[in-house]
Amino acid sequence: MLEYQNLFTRVQVRTVPEAGIPIEDSPGGRAGTGAFSYLAGKFGDAQIGPIYLGTAGTFSLLFGFLAFEIIGLNMWASVGWDPVEFIRQLPWLALEPPPPQYGLHLPPLQQGGWYLMAGFFLTVSILLWWLRVYRRAAALNMGTHLPWAFASAIFLYSAFFFQPLLVGSWSEMVPFGIFPHLDWTSAFSIRYGNLYYNPFHALSIVFLYGSAVLFAMHGATILAVARLGGEREIEQITDRGTAAERSMLFWRWTMGFNATMESIHRWSWWFAVLTTFTGGIGILLTGTVVDNWYLWGVKHGLVSPYPAQNTLTAEQQDLLRGRYQGTAPDSFPTYVAPQPAMMLDSTALMTPADSLPADSARVDSLATPAAAGPAAAKSPATPAGGKSP
Amino acid sequence: MSFLTPTCRRLVAAAIPLAMLSLGACGDAQTDSVQVGYRGTAMEQNYDHGDLKAKFAQVKIPTPLPPAGESPPGPLPWQNVQVLNDISVGEFNRTMVAMSTWVAGTGNCAYCHNIANLASDTLPNGKPLYTKLVARRMLQMTRQINGQYSQHVKNTGVTCYTCHMGKPLPNGLWFYSSQTDYLRHYLDRDGARVVTQQVTPTNMNRSSVKQTEWTYALMMSQSRSLGVNCTYCHNSRQFASWKEAPPARVTAYHGILMLRDVNQNYLSPLQPVYPAVRLGAQGDAPKAQCVTCHNGAYKPLYGAQMVKDYPALWGRADWNGVPFQGLGMPADTATAATDSTAKLATPALPLVKASSSAAPATGAASVGTGNMNRP
Repeated sequence: MLEYQNLFTRVQVRTVPEAGIPIEDSPGGRAGTGAFSYLAGKFGDAQIGPIYLGTAGTFSLLFGFLAFEIIGLNMWASVGWDPVEFIRQLPWLALEPPPPQYGLHLPPLQQGGWYLMAGFFLTVSILLWWLRVYRRAAALNMGTHLPWAFASAIFLYSAFFFQPLLVGSWSEMVPFGIFPHLDWTSAFSIRYGNLYYNPFHALSIVFLYGSAVLFAMHGATILAVARLGGEREIEQITDRGTAAERSMLFWRWTMGFNATMESIHRWSWWFAVLTTFTGGIGILLTGTVVDNWYLWGVKHGLVSPYPAQNTLTAEQQDLLRGRYQGTAPDSFPTYVAPQPAMMLDSTALMTPADSLPADSARVDSLATPAAAGPAAAKSPATPAGGKSP
Repeated sequence: MSFLTPTCRRLVAAAIPLAMLSLGACGDAQTDSVQVGYRGTAMEQNYDHGDLKAKFAQVKIPTPLPPAGESPPGPLPWQNVQVLNDISVGEFNRTMVAMSTWVAGTGNCAYCHNIANLASDTLPNGKPLYTKLVARRMLQMTRQINGQYSQHVKNTGVTCYTCHMGKPLPNGLWFYSSQTDYLRHYLDRDGARVVTQQVTPTNMNRSSVKQTEWTYALMMSQSRSLGVNCTYCHNSRQFASWKEAPPARVTAYHGILMLRDVNQNYLSPLQPVYPAVRLGAQGDAPKAQCVTCHNGAYKPLYGAQMVKDYPALWGRADWNGVPFQGLGMPADTATAATDSTAKLATPALPLVKASSSAAPATGAASVGTGNMNRP
């Protein structure tokens, strides 16, 4: 049966592997001559290799491996080196950033030192991989669209380093772990008053979802005109064929406007790049310029007002306002249990010790009257009885 | 399915997953969604009938003992009664019997008492009866909860059974460990609050994301303890906002204050009393959390008002505005008692106050007496 063969063919060619064009400016050669994989051919080109790793690639993998090992071994250590528990709890295990009390100081290894080290190695690995992408693109005399798109993603990644730096605490950084980093995401949003009201977060979502829609529209359009030569989409920018004509007419029919064979790729590139770029800006503004995005939204008319669900007196509101979490010196994770108050004597029972640590006397301005004087006037009458016989 | 033709079998095989999918999409008709906030804000609670019925059926409320009859007036005839010395003899005996089934589960006095000498705090061999010492403190705690935390327990109140439910060890006891760090906010800090109350950052609130995760864990433990979701107490678009929160959040807040008082002043200080087997890995006493009383219900025991039958456990002088009959002994008799044990009990009396004074403002202010609010 005759089958039209194009980019999307199901036919897999088996011949001498394509060696690729000769490149003069290549430090080191490509390894191997290439091989074929049936499975790879199901998803793309069946040929695997030859591979070029180079200096940047080698070091990138090395540092990436180091980070991976530090993270994995710390997780394993956290379950007492039990291999079964390691697998069972893996989705919940984490390598956590330093606890809040260290600020921007260097913590001991067990208290986030390993985290900083893993983060550093991971960052080095990613940057080296960027360098590799850039160099390969340049070596092939391509444009540098790929490395710059990658750089946009790295910008978002680095925002999670610079934001803690601006806020002044390593503890703000994202833990390494499957669920832990998701928990962090939701906690980050809650801490800063709901990121939903952060306009850059909103933009990022627009571009993210937009990317998906554009990808679907473009992919579907090209597949649909593949039988008409649509796979030669870039050629058809200048040498417009019937595939281009029909696909463009399709979109003018359905939505009145069409991208061109070239501009659709610019649309996609910008949507992808702006997803992470706007996201990164949103992160950098959070905790530095705006501490409560919901209230920012209220201030700027973004939040639709609802009737109050509660009618609280001013006094009640002050009481309920409570205090902010202090950065207690005994914070997670090494904690020494407080010495229990003496109790054997029945008399001691009647005078509860004031156990608020000094640091939690830090109060919100509105709650000051309520929270002053930690030890003042607890119990009206301390009885003078003795211990029971 | 051997009686089916292969085609039939294939059809059935295809239909089963499809049927499951479509059923799932239809949802459970046995679920009630109750709107608890402004329309269109997804402020709702979902109640699964079967689930709720099953849980409700699991709760066994003990039949209240018959009311105590007439008792001779005057001080109690026993020695070493430190807490329940403001009630009549009949009510006292009745309460003791109830406790023996609520807590010990066996109705056995010997769980707490030296049978040879009921007044003694030690066994015949001289070893301290830690169960009795703990029970005494728990009675004071129960009165404190019912008397001082009416903002949380309202007129339902708590009895020993609310937490113990016939078992010596209530559910959800917790000890210090890296896994319970978030629960320490009940104890160590007034620190669940992490969201800044203004647009721009200040040094007032330096709470970190990590601290937010502790708060998150604390909130999830409350959610699980009560079998409710976030919107039971919060409008999730702004967790910090009291204005947009359902009134249940005020009740819950007083519950946190109550637990902090209970843990700091009643449970933790019992540490030296317990034998080592009852202590945590760090040598700390067992402590309570929401689930200890709530046991997965939005109201403990689904709101059964057991305490109205046991005035000895009621820290207030009236129930729903009606003076309690059982709180028999006049206050002056108690204070006039000459032995030192009676003096010991006097602090229990200031706790007895009319609940009419527990109007929101004053009640809220007095609730904090335990550790924070007295200027």
